[in-house]
Amino acid sequence: MSRETIAETRTNPAFYALMAALVIMALGPIVMMLTTSLKLNVDITGSASSLLFMPTLQNYETVLCDVLWYAPEHVDYCDPTFGRALQNSLIIALISTALTLIIGTMAAYALVRFRFMGRGTISMSTLMMRMVPPAVLLVPVFGIWTFNFCFQDECLAGTYSGIILVYVAMNLPFVIWILQSFIVQVPVQLEEAARVDGAGPFQVFFLVVLPLIKPGLAAASIFTFRIAWNEFLLANALLDRNTRTVPVTIVNSLTEYDIDWGVIMATGSLLAIPPIIFTFVASKQIITGMTAGAVKG
Amino acid sequence: MPKIRLEKLVKRYGSLQVIHEIDLETDNNEFTVLVGPSGCGKSTTLRMIAGLETVSDGEIYIDDRPVSRLEPKERDIAMVFQDYALYPHMNVARNMSFALRLEKRPRKEIAQKVGEVAEMLGLEKFLDRKPAELSGGQRQRVAMGRALTRDASTFLFDEPLSNLDAKLRGQMRAELALMSQQVKKSMIYVTHDQVEAMTLGQRIVVMQDGHIRQQGTAEELFKRPNSRFVAGFIGSPPMNFLDGSLVQEGDSTRVIGDGFNLPLPPELAARANAHGSQDVVLGMRPSDLLPVGKHKDDALDLYVLVSEYIGAQSVLLTECGPNKISVEMKSSAPVALGETLKFAPAPDGMHLFDRETELAI
Repeated sequence: MSRETIAETRTNPAFYALMAALVIMALGPIVMMLTTSLKLNVDITGSASSLLFMPTLQNYETVLCDVLWYAPEHVDYCDPTFGRALQNSLIIALISTALTLIIGTMAAYALVRFRFMGRGTISMSTLMMRMVPPAVLLVPVFGIWTFNFCFQDECLAGTYSGIILVYVAMNLPFVIWILQSFIVQVPVQLEEAARVDGAGPFQVFFLVVLPLIKPGLAAASIFTFRIAWNEFLLANALLDRNTRTVPVTIVNSLTEYDIDWGVIMATGSLLAIPPIIFTFVASKQIITGMTAGAVKG
Repeated sequence: MPKIRLEKLVKRYGSLQVIHEIDLETDNNEFTVLVGPSGCGKSTTLRMIAGLETVSDGEIYIDDRPVSRLEPKERDIAMVFQDYALYPHMNVARNMSFALRLEKRPRKEIAQKVGEVAEMLGLEKFLDRKPAELSGGQRQRVAMGRALTRDASTFLFDEPLSNLDAKLRGQMRAELALMSQQVKKSMIYVTHDQVEAMTLGQRIVVMQDGHIRQQGTAEELFKRPNSRFVAGFIGSPPMNFLDGSLVQEGDSTRVIGDGFNLPLPPELAARANAHGSQDVVLGMRPSDLLPVGKHKDDALDLYVLVSEYIGAQSVLLTECGPNKISVEMKSSAPVALGETLKFAPAPDGMHLFDRETELAI
């Protein structure tokens, strides 16, 4: 290799400076959250806000006291909120993700493969729905869920079904949109071959199309799971004491008497774990070239 | 008993009609080839037989059973697609056994059947591989194997060799011919390549613009084309066409045009005279033009423009008046350019076509 080409490949130091700045911006809050969750309140509110402190798991013990097999000494009253909220969050996020994917794949498949009147309009309008900010939906949905959709004194507001319905409706357009682009890439000849081989419409869908759009399903599921997991606004308004999700309970621990930053940060750190695990598992499925070798060219 | 019968088959896309009432009957266990230039409707016809396109009008019979309203899986067919259409998420064995698994056949039977076919196609070593890890020829073989594992009564091929390179295509063509002898099934094969059609087909069906122009054996189509289109389509290099008119001189009929004046053999002359029209097109295959001595009468003076020497024979592009004529001749050495050589058509090497209807006389 000649001298000139070596000189060319040397990167500008400003590039590294920029990279470092971006990394600090991205990781800073997370590091802050993790360190704060390991501090006692004395350290947190103390003027010497340094990195030098005695790490403790007390905050985590407070949060998880309900789940732990031993009773932590420092906890006077064990608040069962977190355990319950975690369960609520998992139920709501998993069910709404599953429903969104099932309905979304079928809708996307129909929009791509079947010719019917208004296909283009429907395809576009599903995406338009996504443009509406959730805050705009909040008031009407709250009204309808509280006063209109009631079955024998049980209203949708405050139930799992109520919030799951909203999350599915909110995420469906985007999921349909993502999956459409994946289904378009599945060669039609494959479906024809399967039909000639004796597969019915559902067998074509489940045995041929579905395995090939796995990367799309993974991307869509990461997206919907994270929205359902992190969503605060609608969850805060539509859920009650017993069905609250974790993001809502965090805010509820900001009271007029006390703001327990250590506990809030510990809850936040715990809150981040499930989506991280979910994303790692799901992103394993995102490999390119799924349809390689199916058809020529 | 005719195996597959098409009766006044029509395909319309909206107001555009692409298949015009075609009739076709194939024999049991016959290898039928549909051949024609692209856009002639051969693939559409095949897809209608497969059940992948709806039939606008007419009926398809397989074993005297009308099938045009049935789903593909109810028609007892297997199909090989132009671009293989292998399931990329399944390995070769699972690709080949897909249909059998759908039918819920016993596992032992499936394994045995896949083994048999893999052995026949030389795929035993690749059964665990995914299609992406195979070469083009191997993929093509898997696609064929997938059709063969099924005990379908009819096999449909949609230009299966068109994606392979020339050498592989020749090799696969030979394998296909061998396979069609081993597997006694009705086969319908679509191709735009007349060489494939001639070498594989027991019955060759030439299509153009949604019509069947002629059907028959390779020899019939080559020696007795019924129209200028079939004559020009079958055979390589293609037939030479010269515009001319019929002239009666004494008791012989001659065809005369710009740069040539040739006598017709008696049998053809009789037919030409019975036909009536004077304006004809003379067709001569490049291989039917034979070199003759310098002083022979009734021959063509051909000025050699290009000489393609390919060993045992040369293909010459020559000029005769305003017409370009290609000639195939046996040659031990390349023919020099710029020479004028004399050629006479073989006695049965002349074809006459009506200039207006383009049908054979």
